[in-house]
Amino acid sequence: MNGALFGHTWRSQRIRLGLISLALLVWGGLLPFIYATFGSRFKSLLESGLMPAQFARFGGGDVFTLTGTVALSLIHPVPMILISVFAVGFSSYAIAGERQQGTLEVVLARPLDRRTFYVTLLLASFGFVAIAIAMLLGGTIIGSSLAGVLAELPLQRMPLVWLNGVLLFGAFATIGLAASSSFDRAAPALGWTLGIVIVMYVLEVLGSFWPDAAFLQPYSLFHYLRPKAVLTGAAEASDFALLAIVIVVAMVWAIAVFPRRDLAAPI
Amino acid sequence: MHAIETVGLTKRYRTIRALESLNIEVREGEIFGFLGPNGAGKSTTIRLLLGFLHPTAGQARVLGLDIVKDSVAIRRRLGYLPGGIALYDTLSGKQQLDYLTALNDRPPIRRAELCERLELSAGTLERRVRDYSRGMRQKIGIAQALQHDPDLAILDEPSEGLDPLMQRAFYGILETLKEAGRTIFFSSHVLSEVERVCDRVAIIRRGRLVAVEDIAGLLARRRRNVVMRFDGPPPRLDGVGGVSNIEARDGRLTCGIDGDIGPFLAAISDSRVTDLTIEPAHLEEVFLELYGGGGEADAV
Repeated sequence: MNGALFGHTWRSQRIRLGLISLALLVWGGLLPFIYATFGSRFKSLLESGLMPAQFARFGGGDVFTLTGTVALSLIHPVPMILISVFAVGFSSYAIAGERQQGTLEVVLARPLDRRTFYVTLLLASFGFVAIAIAMLLGGTIIGSSLAGVLAELPLQRMPLVWLNGVLLFGAFATIGLAASSSFDRAAPALGWTLGIVIVMYVLEVLGSFWPDAAFLQPYSLFHYLRPKAVLTGAAEASDFALLAIVIVVAMVWAIAVFPRRDLAAPI
Repeated sequence: MHAIETVGLTKRYRTIRALESLNIEVREGEIFGFLGPNGAGKSTTIRLLLGFLHPTAGQARVLGLDIVKDSVAIRRRLGYLPGGIALYDTLSGKQQLDYLTALNDRPPIRRAELCERLELSAGTLERRVRDYSRGMRQKIGIAQALQHDPDLAILDEPSEGLDPLMQRAFYGILETLKEAGRTIFFSSHVLSEVERVCDRVAIIRRGRLVAVEDIAGLLARRRRNVVMRFDGPPPRLDGVGGVSNIEARDGRLTCGIDGDIGPFLAAISDSRVTDLTIEPAHLEEVFLELYGGGGEADAV
């Protein structure tokens, strides 16, 4: 890892990271209040049959239990978009964007090999994702405490939920960085990464709402984000392992491709 | 040891021959001009030397180190100014220089001197780069390339965007570096500045080396244009060595001279010459003569 590059990357993202962390903290704190205030009413509504049962299965999350609420706080489009600013946006722009604007050659003219450059950006990406998810879960804990439902939250399992989230969004960040290291321009890197994330999200949500499409869910990485299962002690190590394998494969791709690529003059 | 030495250096992209079997030797401590129009292979050569591109064939050594195996070690000892340099718009000039210094292992021992000579004041350096003019950006580019006093500086179109006063200051900086024994590899298509600052020049055309020569030698062996006025009969120049295209009319004679001008001067010594202009052979003419038509990369 290169300290100067790492520091520069963090400084360049600090305002964005601050704003997104704040938004996730608020979002994480909001859902326990919704659960505490409306959870039982939603449950009655669901049991009465007026609300489709599928609403209780959205990405494995719900607002009838606190563990389900934690799951919903991660899989909902709002945190998905916020965390994707780093997991997708930053990562896919990190190399291809610098290359496109011409600053990559100024940096790589220094005694910095491309592997170190890539690994530094990968660590920064993971750092951003890790902080973003920590803020979201921190908000959940604070919100649960303020709403008086903290006792229902198995706090000792929260680090595993965090790890599960970091592995999922870290996998997207690694895919984004692999794409970024493979293209000369940011648009195709962003397009590919965003496309993969959207398709996987649709597969997961479709499978959760429509039982006939449930067979599609295992093809989505979102399927291996299991906060509710983690909090109830029903999670499997294979879920974590699969996400880790995706990270390793994308890393190996980038480390193999980026140093061997020709970096012709920017157009 | 040569600062740069390439042997059969070749780069091809599928159907495009960007550089074909380049053989050059840049001596330590010289300012070496690398001339050619856009698409001739100048940037390809530089990017090969920096490790941005991988050679299709051939070898090159920079500061005695192999460009493929020792790329990081090479970059530790060189400074690079890309053509049309891109900078981080959100950083100030100082932050920019500090960041690029931090990526280097060497302290910025020449920064203060460079900033003074390029008139980059402390106030200017505190401003964000996005507010800089093109010339200011180029000054920052020059400073970042040279601030750590590299053994070899590779400068691609370095005076682009500089006003004449700053160009002069920049040439002064080059002279200082040369006196300190540093090597400058100077890529340009501004012929007058190459003629002014370089010791030797390589001319590249369609990915192939056309000539490597001392500037003085290159100019000396090229045609001079002569315009002469005389009283009385015109001097007899037919058959004089190196003289061609003779036209005499109404007391005015024009001709061209290749090589030594001694025979020409001897031939006109008996004539009553009232005016004589021998135009210096500019590199531009040499360049145009060597090029003829176009400079785009060829298909293989």
